[in-house]
Amino acid sequence: MTALRRLGLAFIGLLLASVLLFMYVNSGAQQAASYIESRDLIRLLKQQDAIWDNEVLKSRIALSHNYDPLVSPLHEMARLWQRLDAIESEPGRHAPSLWENQRDEYLKAIKEKTRLVEQFKSRNSVLRNSLAFLPTVEDDIQGQFAQLSDADKLQLQAVAVDTYDLLLSSMEFAQLTTREIAAEVLLGLNRMDVNKERLPKELRDSVDILSRHIALILREQPRVNELLAGIEAVPVSDHLDGITSLLEKDQAIAAGKYQRNHIYLLVFATVLALILIWLAIRLMRSFGEIKRVNNALQTANDVLEQRVEERTRQLKDTQSELMDTARQAGMAEIATNVLHNVGNVLNSVNISADLVSRKLRSSKAIGLSKAMQLINEHPDDLGHFLTDDPKGKLLPGYLNQLVEAIAVEQQGLIDELAQLSKSVDHIKDIVSTQQSYAGANSLLEPLVVSELLEDALRMNSGALTRHHVTVIKEYGEVPRIMGDKHRLLLILINLISNAKYAMAGVSNHARNMTLRAEVVNGDTLQISVKDEGEGIPEENMTRIFAHGFTTRKEGHGFGLHSCALAAIEMNGHLTAHSEGPGKGATFELQLPLKLAEGEQ
Amino acid sequence: MASSGLLLALGLLVGISVTAHAAPLDEPLKPLPPVPALDPKRVQLGLRLFNDPRLSVNNTLSCASCHRLDKGGADDKQFSTGFDGKPLEVNTPTVLNASLNFHQFWDGRVDTLEEQVHDVVVSTAEMASTWESVVKRIADDPGYVKDFKAAYPDGVTAPNIQSALADYERTLLTPNSRFDQYLLGNTDILTPREKFGYERFKEYGCIACHQGVNIGGNMFQKFGVMGDYIADRGNPTRADEGRFNVTGDEMDRQVFKVPSLRNVAMTAPYFHKGSAPTLERAVEVMFRYQLGREPQKNDTELIVEFLKTLTGEWEGKPQ
Repeated sequence: MTALRRLGLAFIGLLLASVLLFMYVNSGAQQAASYIESRDLIRLLKQQDAIWDNEVLKSRIALSHNYDPLVSPLHEMARLWQRLDAIESEPGRHAPSLWENQRDEYLKAIKEKTRLVEQFKSRNSVLRNSLAFLPTVEDDIQGQFAQLSDADKLQLQAVAVDTYDLLLSSMEFAQLTTREIAAEVLLGLNRMDVNKERLPKELRDSVDILSRHIALILREQPRVNELLAGIEAVPVSDHLDGITSLLEKDQAIAAGKYQRNHIYLLVFATVLALILIWLAIRLMRSFGEIKRVNNALQTANDVLEQRVEERTRQLKDTQSELMDTARQAGMAEIATNVLHNVGNVLNSVNISADLVSRKLRSSKAIGLSKAMQLINEHPDDLGHFLTDDPKGKLLPGYLNQLVEAIAVEQQGLIDELAQLSKSVDHIKDIVSTQQSYAGANSLLEPLVVSELLEDALRMNSGALTRHHVTVIKEYGEVPRIMGDKHRLLLILINLISNAKYAMAGVSNHARNMTLRAEVVNGDTLQISVKDEGEGIPEENMTRIFAHGFTTRKEGHGFGLHSCALAAIEMNGHLTAHSEGPGKGATFELQLPLKLAEGEQ
Repeated sequence: MASSGLLLALGLLVGISVTAHAAPLDEPLKPLPPVPALDPKRVQLGLRLFNDPRLSVNNTLSCASCHRLDKGGADDKQFSTGFDGKPLEVNTPTVLNASLNFHQFWDGRVDTLEEQVHDVVVSTAEMASTWESVVKRIADDPGYVKDFKAAYPDGVTAPNIQSALADYERTLLTPNSRFDQYLLGNTDILTPREKFGYERFKEYGCIACHQGVNIGGNMFQKFGVMGDYIADRGNPTRADEGRFNVTGDEMDRQVFKVPSLRNVAMTAPYFHKGSAPTLERAVEVMFRYQLGREPQKNDTELIVEFLKTLTGEWEGKPQ
C-alpha cells in the first residue's frame, strides 16, 4: 500500500517537474531577448547604410576627398549582418524559406550597392578631377591667348569666346545633366575641333587637353548620375524594413505563444498553489492531531501528578499523624513524669498525714482525760485528794508532765503539718508548671536557655532530691534564642530523668549530674546532660534511640526515640557518648542557633 | 597659493603649446593607425609560417620569397617566379600595410588577407599546393603542433594557418614615416620642396585616387582614363584586363585596385606589370594616362620627393 502510494507521489512529482521543464523550454524570454538584439542590429545596419549614403553624397559634391569612409561602413555592416544572420538563421525562428528569402534579397542588394558604389568611386574621382581642372586649363588657354599678338587675338577672338562658352556649358552640364546641355557641350567640342586647326601649336595642345577633359565630363557625368540614382534605388533599407516586419510578425507570433505560455504557467502555478494549500491544510490538521494528542498526554500527566501529589499529601498526613502520636507519647511520658513526681510528693503528704494521725491517736491528751476522771471522782474533797491521796498527790506533777508532753506533741504536729503544707505547695507547683506547658504548641518563641533548664530540673526536683542527685550547672554565655519550648522541655526532662535513673544503682560515689549549655562555633546551641551512672554498653549505643528500646523494667522505650525525633524536627540532633558500662554517659543536644530579636 | 596659480598657468600654457604643436592636420591623407593588439602566439606562428617553404608544393617558395620585408615587402623584380621558376603574370604588390587595403590582389578578387593566403597557396602558378598537403606538413612538425595547440583550440587546420598568417600580416604596418609625422602635426619635418611636392600632388589630382589612410588601396580605377596605356605599352595579356577577369563586367576592363603609395620609393618596378622601372617614370605615366595633364617643369621631381617621405619604419628601421 505504502509502496504504491510512494510510487504515485513520485509519479506526480515527476509530472510536475516535467511540466515545469516543458514550460521553461517553451518560455519566450530567449526569443524576446534576441528579437530586441536583432532589432537593434537592424537599426545599426540602417544607420550604417545611411552613413554610407551620406558619404557617397559628400563625395558627389566634392566635400570629401577621402574614400575610406565609403569603405568602412561596408565592413561595419558586414560585421553587424554576420551577428544578425547568426541569430536569425537559427532553426525554428522563422517559417522555412521566409528568412532565407529576405536574407538573399538583402545580400543581393548589398552586393549590388557595393558594386555601384565601387563604380561611383572610380568614376566620380576622375570626374571631380577633370571638373576641378577645368578652370586651371581655361586660365592656361586664356593666358596663352593674351600672349598672342593683337592681330592674332582679334582673329582668334571667336575661338576664345567659344572655348569659354564650352567651359561654361560643361560646368552647367556638371550641375544640370540634361540632353540639351549635353548636345550643346558636344556641339562646343566639335566646334573646338574645327577651331583648333587655326590655333598655334602650343595653344592647340592646351585645347586638346581641355577637350579631352570635357569629353570625359560629358562621358562620366551622366554615368555618375546614373550610378547615384542606382545607389539610391538599391533597396537595402527596404529589405532591412522587410526583415524588420518579418521579425515583428514572428515576434508577434512568439509573443502570442508567450502569452499562451504565460496563461499555462498561471494555470500551472494555480495548480501548484492549490496543492500547496492542500498540503498546508493537511499539515495544519496533522498539527491539530499532534496538539490534541499532546494535550491528552498533558492531561494524563497532570492527573498522574495530581495523584502523586495526593499520595504525597497522604504520606505527609500519615507522617504528621505519626508525629502527633509521638508527641502524644512524649506528652504521656511527661504526664507520667509529672504524675510520678506528684505521686512522690503525695507519698510524703501521705506519710505526714499518717504521722499526724498516728501522733494524734497516741496523743498525750488521753492522759489529760484520765487526770480529769480522777478529779471528777473527787468533786468534794478535791483539795484533800490533791494533797493527801497518794494518787491525788501525784496528779499535779503528772499534769505538768502532760502539759510539757502535749506542748512537744503540738510542736511536732505543727512541724508535720508545715511539711504537709509544703508538699501540697510542691504539688501545686508541679501541676502549675505542667499547666504552663500544657497548651504549648510548636511555635518558636524567645527563650532563655537557663530558665528552660531550671524548669526541667524543677519538674524532676522531687525525684532528684529523693535520689540524692547533685546537679552541677555549667551554663555558658547563651543568648536568648528562638526555640520550641515544648520540644526542648520534653527532651530535657527525659534526659534529666534518664540521668537520674542511670545513677539509681550508684552507691560508691556521689550522684553528680552535670548540665551544660553553650554556643559552639557561633552557630550551634549545645546542651548536654552528663551523668556518672551505669553508662551505655558499646553494643547498645546504636540502638538507644530506636523505638521500643529500653533497659528498664517499667520503661516504654519511647523516651529517647521521641527526643531524637523532636531534635530532628527542630533541625538539630541528639547524640549519646559513653566510655562504656559504669563510666557514665553524656547526651548532647545540638540545635542551630536562632537568636531571638534584639540579641547579638 | 600664488605660486600654485602660477604653476597652473604655466601648465596650461605648456598644455596649449603641446596641443598646438601636436594638432593633426585635416588632410585627405591620414596617418597609419596603431598596430592592432593581436594574440602574440598567433602572430608568432604567422611569422614562422610566412617564412616556411612547406606552404609551396615543392618546398621552394615561402611567402617571404616574394614578399621580402627588406625590400619594401615585395621583391625588386618585374615578376616574381612561381614554384616552377616561371615568372608570374603580375608584379608582386607589397605585403606592408596590406591589411589596410579594401581588397587584395591587383584585381581585388578577394576581400580578406585569409582569402589572399588561400589564393596564393592553391594558385597553380604560385605555390601550387593544396591545403590537405599543407596541413599535413605542418601537423607533422611537433613544434608547430604544440604552438598551434597553444594558440588555437582546434590545433592545426587550414583556417587556422590562414588566420595566423593574416594576423601576422596585420602587424606589418610601417608607421612613423616623415609624412605621417607631418600629418600628426610635426610640420617642420618636411622640407619646403617636399611640401611643394605634396601641394602639387593634390593640385594635379593624384589625390583623387591616392587618398585615405593607405594613400590608395581603397578604390578601383581604370588604368588609362585619359589614354590607352596598355595599347601604348604593347604586348597586352589577360592580366591587363584587371577586374574584368573577376566580374566579367565591361565597365571593369583594365580596372585595377589603386595601389597604396606608402613605401612606394622601396617597391620599384611599378604598375601591375612592373612596366615603370622608376618612380619618375611611374609619375609621368600617371600624369599622361590618368590625369591627362602635362606637368609643369620640375613638378614631377617635386612629387617624387614628396613620395619618398611616405617611407615608414618596420621594426624601428626605415624601410
